[in-house]
Amino acid sequence: MYTGPVGSANLPQQIHDYNVHIDSNDVFWMIPVEHDAVKVDFDQARARLRVNNLRVFDDHDVGNSLTLGLGLPGGLGFPYPAIAPAAPVRATVSFDVEWNGFVDKAQINNSAQSFKGSFFSTNTTIKWSAEQTGFRFESETPDPGRNLISVLGREQNGVFFSE
Amino acid sequence: MEKSGHGGLSRRTLIWRAGAIAGAGLLRPRPALADDGEHEQTARALTNPIPGGVTPFKPFGVVVHHNPLSPANRLAVANISDPSQITDFDGFVGLTHIRGGGTGTNTVSGASTILAFQADMGFSQGKFVGADGRQHEGTFAFV
Repeated sequence: MYTGPVGSANLPQQIHDYNVHIDSNDVFWMIPVEHDAVKVDFDQARARLRVNNLRVFDDHDVGNSLTLGLGLPGGLGFPYPAIAPAAPVRATVSFDVEWNGFVDKAQINNSAQSFKGSFFSTNTTIKWSAEQTGFRFESETPDPGRNLISVLGREQNGVFFSE
Repeated sequence: MEKSGHGGLSRRTLIWRAGAIAGAGLLRPRPALADDGEHEQTARALTNPIPGGVTPFKPFGVVVHHNPLSPANRLAVANISDPSQITDFDGFVGLTHIRGGGTGTNTVSGASTILAFQADMGFSQGKFVGADGRQHEGTFAFV
């Protein structure tokens, strides 16, 4: 979440970063949810993800999220700004994401990354909210025009790639 | 501030950072476990991350086993990298890259302001081989 104008996402202006942290096996920001939290109608390039009151962390910004709260140094020739350290705090988020209708479609067989499958670029909307001590957020009415890129796939990777 | 010979960090900074790492570890959630409710009675297995990914703040920060979507591929989805965060996976995957707005409210003062957001979110639903070497089914949100 950013203090800049809608449509922007500049790291120095970030004030909240909600995620479930990387797990002890290095899986990135994935959390098990109820089976019926996800509905997929793949042939129609549609899917829906709905979760209510998920416990997450607010790392303040992605710089702190990916440095475990250490922040980032300024200068030194690196292409990112100085970010002050910040400790995570608890929050809850609810979200309703809809992949709805294809924009583009492709069959992919990528041996370098060992993944294959059918993939859609889709139209997508999101409605979400967050709540934590002293702050809450409610997103705008879902707007398909906000989607920069979204993907829906039916894929096999890793050991399933060669099957 | 006194500098050490280790990347310009002072001893106090190094000590503080060591403390921050320990604190961050305490705040980490439990590993992502498959919900075995309707699929397998005993399947609560660790998923494995995809082998690749990015390090956005190299040389600082962690390796992220995730391939961010590029808006340049919206009309060329054939060019995407693996959108899954889980390897040894067979199933449905969804991923978004959305920027929008909303209203943030200070719940103490009641003051509200318009804020921007970026939502890189998604899901995986299907079967996977876990760290235990066994096959499981699960549904995961990418948050």
